[in-house]
Amino acid sequence: MLKITKAGNHGILLPQLSIGLDYSGKKADYVFVSHGHADHIPWKSYAKAVYATPPTKEFMIRRGTKYEVQELPFRESIETDKAKVTFYPAGHILGSAMTFVESDFGNLLYTGDYRTPASPATEGFELPDAEIDTFITEATFSLPVYKWPSYEELKADIMGFARSALEENYTPVFLAYNLGKAQEIMHLVKDLNHPVQIHGAGFKLCEVYDQEGIDLGNYETYNRDTCEGKILVCPSSAINNGFASNVRKKRITYCSGWAAMESRRSQLTVDKLIPISDHLDFFELISLCEHLQPKMTYITHTPNPNVVKHYLDERGIPSQSLYMEAEPND
Amino acid sequence: MSNQAQNTFLQLAKTAQTINETRGSNAKIKICAEYFKLLETDEDLQMAAQFLGEGAFSDVSGKRASVGSRTYSTLAADLCEIDYEKVFKPSKTATGSSSEVIEKLFTNIPESRAKWDPQHISLQEVKSIYDHLEEVSSRADKQEILTNAWIQMTPLEVKYFLRIMGRGSLRIGFESKSIVSAIAKAFKHKVDEVRYVHMLTGSIGKTTVLAQQDNLAEARFNLFQPIAFMLASPIESRAVDNYSNYVAEEKFDGMRCQIHIKGDNVKIFSRDLNDVTQSFPEIVEYFTERSLPEIVLDGEICVFKDDTILPFQLLQKRMGLKKPSKKVLQEYPTLLISYDILFYDGQPIFEKTLAERRTLLSELSSKFNFPITTQQHIRDKDHIDELFELALAHGNEGLMLKHRDSTYEYGQRRKSWLKVKKPGGSIDTIMMYAHAGSGKRGGTYSDFTLGVSVRDDERYEEEFIPIGKAYGGYTDEELKKMNAKIKEITAEKYGPTLGLLPEIVIELEFDDIQVNKRTKANFTLRFPRFKAIRWDLSPDDVDTLKDVEHLYKEKIDQERLSQKDQPSFIIG
Repeated sequence: MLKITKAGNHGILLPQLSIGLDYSGKKADYVFVSHGHADHIPWKSYAKAVYATPPTKEFMIRRGTKYEVQELPFRESIETDKAKVTFYPAGHILGSAMTFVESDFGNLLYTGDYRTPASPATEGFELPDAEIDTFITEATFSLPVYKWPSYEELKADIMGFARSALEENYTPVFLAYNLGKAQEIMHLVKDLNHPVQIHGAGFKLCEVYDQEGIDLGNYETYNRDTCEGKILVCPSSAINNGFASNVRKKRITYCSGWAAMESRRSQLTVDKLIPISDHLDFFELISLCEHLQPKMTYITHTPNPNVVKHYLDERGIPSQSLYMEAEPND
Repeated sequence: MSNQAQNTFLQLAKTAQTINETRGSNAKIKICAEYFKLLETDEDLQMAAQFLGEGAFSDVSGKRASVGSRTYSTLAADLCEIDYEKVFKPSKTATGSSSEVIEKLFTNIPESRAKWDPQHISLQEVKSIYDHLEEVSSRADKQEILTNAWIQMTPLEVKYFLRIMGRGSLRIGFESKSIVSAIAKAFKHKVDEVRYVHMLTGSIGKTTVLAQQDNLAEARFNLFQPIAFMLASPIESRAVDNYSNYVAEEKFDGMRCQIHIKGDNVKIFSRDLNDVTQSFPEIVEYFTERSLPEIVLDGEICVFKDDTILPFQLLQKRMGLKKPSKKVLQEYPTLLISYDILFYDGQPIFEKTLAERRTLLSELSSKFNFPITTQQHIRDKDHIDELFELALAHGNEGLMLKHRDSTYEYGQRRKSWLKVKKPGGSIDTIMMYAHAGSGKRGGTYSDFTLGVSVRDDERYEEEFIPIGKAYGGYTDEELKKMNAKIKEITAEKYGPTLGLLPEIVIELEFDDIQVNKRTKANFTLRFPRFKAIRWDLSPDDVDTLKDVEHLYKEKIDQERLSQKDQPSFIIG
């Protein structure tokens, strides 16, 4: 089996192969970047080569990455001296990839952040056609209180919210993270044929979606003077910092997996909570593990790895938290 | 058919949920008023208003369903076929609400869904479930009743069933003030009239029915049926223009109560309108001996021994005792000190001014020899300081300032009654958790769990344990700075809560320290709040749990000025 080291905030290291996953430390020759969210982009690189899917590379450049990045399209493989590495679509945001590593020590699938069923504003979700030895999975929503409504319901909520606000002369505001969620909302509401304005930080990333052929409808960058009556999209932090504060008649919805929590309503002072997430829910996670039956599952990106482990134990699927010093038998 | 559905508990739960999902108190009041109007019978209306406004039982009934959170949480885990420790508890920690967790688990988990058969049970049926829970005492019996009730409900109903049972807030941003407004709106009355009737009846359910029947004028004060208490506002929050309109009394560190007297019949009610007569037999005896006319007094029970008022912590040994032993009675003798009179000569006198009520109270006190507070006319601001020092020397909490022309009205009535208190003390604590703020503080972490050090305490394995939760008391600038620092020291994230590395030291001010066996520290602070952010201090400077225990002991052992000279109260 492959050895795995969780290197603090530096990502994950496979020391036998000198491969880093979302890794910014000094001990890897090859680094693979799962997707373009800031907490996964290595903030510096000591590697011989850093690989990302073409959209992820574009996001990295727009978010200030200075080191050189090689493009590795989905399903194409790179062979290093000790391993063969392939990206598979992760369904989280555009360009998001699961990293599949094959080596003499066995294979490994690192999910990065992922969502299945996939967001429609992505390349989809696809698993490698292989038995998985080592599975490293994120588990952001790792409690059975998290179960998403069907996508049809979520879509109806989003469309209905915008439609009824506009009909009643209110400006609808979607609080959505500016890479991924924002574009997914835009991709959905384009069918209303109503102009959209998106917060500047998200706007510059929309270009990548255009290039990849994801239709975001009729949009422009946020302009305080002309935003009234448009469908507005901004991150939740912006709304308390003056975004559209000149528009008196507006309705606000918070779009996030965390919207499943009632307390978010009063914390953010919003009209509606729509629990649309970039991540899979707890039940989807457990059933994916059941489907894959990996020899070992490592659980990461969660305060509650033990809940997932408990469910996997009951199903006879070996697992452990990646926060513990992981030293698997080899 | 559609009319029939109005009296279901499901309809109430849906209404509560809609109120929760609606912004703006006027819009919320409107939804509630429309709901009230659709209920056809008095029984349904009374129950609906009581459930939304008071809980499973009317406040004056003194009844409780008495179901602990562990009782219903373990049951919920069993019904879901999940492990209570390994799955339920972490879920509770993440959402912060047992009732919300249970609603979600019942919705999400197939093993629990299979057991469900929603019956659209009526409000009256739910009422009898609460009655049934109150009657049994064992955990097994309560769980059996709960199981039978829950399987007939939707998860949404279960959530509100639990919140109503717990007598706490329904957490829908709709408190009793709004319910009073909704009643007024639904049945076209003045809000003040509804308020008054609510005070008299002590029951939001009855008030609603009277309002619906256009019978508010019929509401009467009844002896031995307690009315809601008048409360004081902190003086810091109110600007006082003319002190000469106020009188001052010392604020006793005792237990607020209302005593109803008719000959040999005496009943004492606590602030939450529970009958606590049995706990204080010597007070009952004291008043029956005096052959008073029919009256109702408002006052404070204190432990009084050797001419000295003793600390609240000793009074706690008397509270909740159904039948105090002779030894306890001797060791902690109590006295009721009155400061207001609400009923005399066959009628309520809330509408009279404080000055008029006080004149009457003084006359009765000298005629029948029972203690009343010493009242001082306030000359000026300096005079307040002088009286305040004397109050503290007596071991009392501070002063109450009361407007001479004020009538007796329940709740906080702006500037009618003001309290002047000295902070109980302050300790240096470590910031352990940050919680996302609400309302205008949304988007920042503005509520904090603070801890004391137990590093060298052999009783604990942790480094720090929580001692209190505080928010406010900092400037916007300071909050910004704290939030920037919090980003750097976040160790874990639980939804809206962050677990922090021990770095930020907060000087925490509080009113009092109390024993609370249900907390890890065994102590809770009353009204903890920020005094200062101590960027100059490190985690090594944080006060220890032993320091807190020491402070507690000091407060109990404080020297107290005897009541011989310049007393806080007078008899006759």
